[in-house]
Amino acid sequence: MTISELLSQYGEKYIQALLTTWQLTALSFAGALVIGIIITVMRVCPIKPLRIFGDLYVQIFRNIPGASLLIVLVYALPNLNIILSYYQCVLTATTMIPAAFCSEYLMSGIDAIGIGQIEAARSLGMTFGTMMRKVVIPQAVRFSVLPMTNLLIATMLTTSLASQVPLNPKDLTGLVSYINTRDVGGVTSFLISSIMYCGTAVIIGQIGSFIDKKVRIIR
Amino acid sequence: MNEQRTVRDALYEQPDAGTRKKITLVTVVSLFAIAVFMLYILKLFKDNGQFDEKYWSFFMRLTTWKFIGEGLLGTIEASLLAGVLALLIGFVFMVMRISFYKPLNMAGTALTEFTRGVPTLLFIYFFFLYVPKMGINLPSIWRVSLPVAISASGMVAEVLRSGVNAVPKGQREAALSIGMRETMVFTKIIFPQAIRYVIPALVSDLVIVVKDTTFSYIVNFPDLMQNAKVLISNYDALLSVYLMAAVIYVLINYFLNKVSVTLAKRGGMVPVVGR
Amino acid sequence: MNSEVNVTEKDSDKTIVELKHVEKYYGELHALKDINLQVKKGEVVVLIGPSGSGKSTLCRTINRLESINSGEILIEGKKLPEGGAELAGLRAEIGMVFQSFNLFAHKSILDNVCMGPVDVLHRPKEEVKKEAMELLKRVGVDSQAQKMPAQLSGGQQQRAAIARSLAMHPKVMLFDEPTSALDPEMIQEVLDVMIELANEGMTMIVVTHEMNFARRVADRVVFMADGAIVEENTPEEFFTAPKSERAKEFLESINRH
Repeated sequence: MTISELLSQYGEKYIQALLTTWQLTALSFAGALVIGIIITVMRVCPIKPLRIFGDLYVQIFRNIPGASLLIVLVYALPNLNIILSYYQCVLTATTMIPAAFCSEYLMSGIDAIGIGQIEAARSLGMTFGTMMRKVVIPQAVRFSVLPMTNLLIATMLTTSLASQVPLNPKDLTGLVSYINTRDVGGVTSFLISSIMYCGTAVIIGQIGSFIDKKVRIIR
Repeated sequence: MNEQRTVRDALYEQPDAGTRKKITLVTVVSLFAIAVFMLYILKLFKDNGQFDEKYWSFFMRLTTWKFIGEGLLGTIEASLLAGVLALLIGFVFMVMRISFYKPLNMAGTALTEFTRGVPTLLFIYFFFLYVPKMGINLPSIWRVSLPVAISASGMVAEVLRSGVNAVPKGQREAALSIGMRETMVFTKIIFPQAIRYVIPALVSDLVIVVKDTTFSYIVNFPDLMQNAKVLISNYDALLSVYLMAAVIYVLINYFLNKVSVTLAKRGGMVPVVGR
Repeated sequence: MNSEVNVTEKDSDKTIVELKHVEKYYGELHALKDINLQVKKGEVVVLIGPSGSGKSTLCRTINRLESINSGEILIEGKKLPEGGAELAGLRAEIGMVFQSFNLFAHKSILDNVCMGPVDVLHRPKEEVKKEAMELLKRVGVDSQAQKMPAQLSGGQQQRAAIARSLAMHPKVMLFDEPTSALDPEMIQEVLDVMIELANEGMTMIVVTHEMNFARRVADRVVFMADGAIVEENTPEEFFTAPKSERAKEFLESINRH
């Protein structure tokens, strides 16, 4: 198919697919941030069982392949009488996995601050709360800007898992597979999706490095 | 004395007696909560008959494990092939990117960014749905490994480039001053050192490759996931088999990450977190 | 030097820091063994000893960056609180200067100095700022006030860190090897600030390898080895005629270099 044929026939669907991918990405990323922060709080707290739980979560979800998790959610959970819609399954998978990485990045952000500054804060007489608010969190957030940017891009790539279940409207990958199983979409059909993915990634990357430059700590 | 302590341990004060009591209390409560959560899951399994012997007994058979083993072998084959290909393609991208010839340099950058910004699945569908229509028939392992490799190549190129940048400048100058030509400096001096710097990062990238090969089922290549599907149709045991497959994947990747961290520590480097 | 005059002034007999039978273990390692030490108001006590002798650990127990296993630590006669707001409040009155400066990396030098008074003591920002500038001037880094810590040399960072502690008007200042991480040419500028502080009558507990500083400034030298206090002496006597074998060996080993 030529590009004009493709666009006249599937143009609207591509826009819809782009929006679906964006929506999945945004929802997953927001969820991943929330879960990632909770898991991180568990991992740094002095309560042993919570620490172990947090570590276990991270080890499982950073190491499980997306497809494997999605298949468990879609096919295996109904056997436990837990029935999620396809969309919920995808969203769960694309949230749980980035959440593990989110926690890893936050942990290395906290580690990057160094024990010395924490001891200095304590020596000044700061309480735990003041120390967290004034010393730990502001720095951890700054250290996390670039990793979080990469995480957002990785989350977008992960949402292509949506193509593995019947969804309507389809995401960018699902749409290309749909077009090419019914039609001869040709290289162009792949290129359009690729450019949309890449374009999004570039924009995210630019915004991320812009923010990073603003808040970066000179070391 | 406290060199090994991380911020994780330093964040909280060394507890006094009162705090210790509170910590103990919360520990007990949290243990209880976790136990309740686990029991709930076990109850779900039980109520839905998932502990029935028929779902688990075939794991006692040697043939089952032989079949899983074959699948695992498929996964390892596809991963290794994809890993080697990604290294080759990534190397080419990296060389393009660090070349002084502007168009080549830009092409290298574009290719790196492109492969990093497009999901693996799109490459897989390209090789599954489009390439055969051009009359090219690749063996099924290549239909997984090639797209997975292409998808990883940009990442590998960046890792290699960071390694090349990490080699001290003096190395190049020293090599030039004993009369080496630029190409020789790169192949004999710079690159061998660069690769040593980035081995931990490459190992952790292998995790991503292993994960991506799970899409083998799309092209019918018999990897672990594909063989799991066959087991399921034989024994009608969805949950147990898929869980087992997931556990095996997690263990493989956990092991690879551990190797990466160990290598990084031995080399005195900061361990890497993949995606 | 007017040490004669100072000594009589300093003997105001008010004990600021007192350690009684302090013991500390790191697992198997007996890090502090039956430590007894008194520091009076205005006194400068220098802790020296080979590395691993426990002098840093001892210094860090005084504001409970390290907990102890048994014994007592008294600050102005009151037992060192074990935690909570009380401990935080007490730490606000004890200055601490670290080997690696530990300035807050995300704050300017001025903000580093202001942070304690503003966020811990809740004093008005404007007033604190003025005072902070004066302190920075006193330690000679006022021209760097708006810069970030990483933009300063090690010596400047350490002087700023001293100003940060001084801003809290501490009753006593702990120095944990303040010059060990510095390039040789920067050591003196930090020592000069410390000497000035000592001359002004600040109560100081200093862990250091700078023997000249100890000789010149210390009212008392405390020599530690293997977690125990081996010898307490005046600097003159310690450096010329040490009482203990261990101290003799130690002094010989450093004089060989």
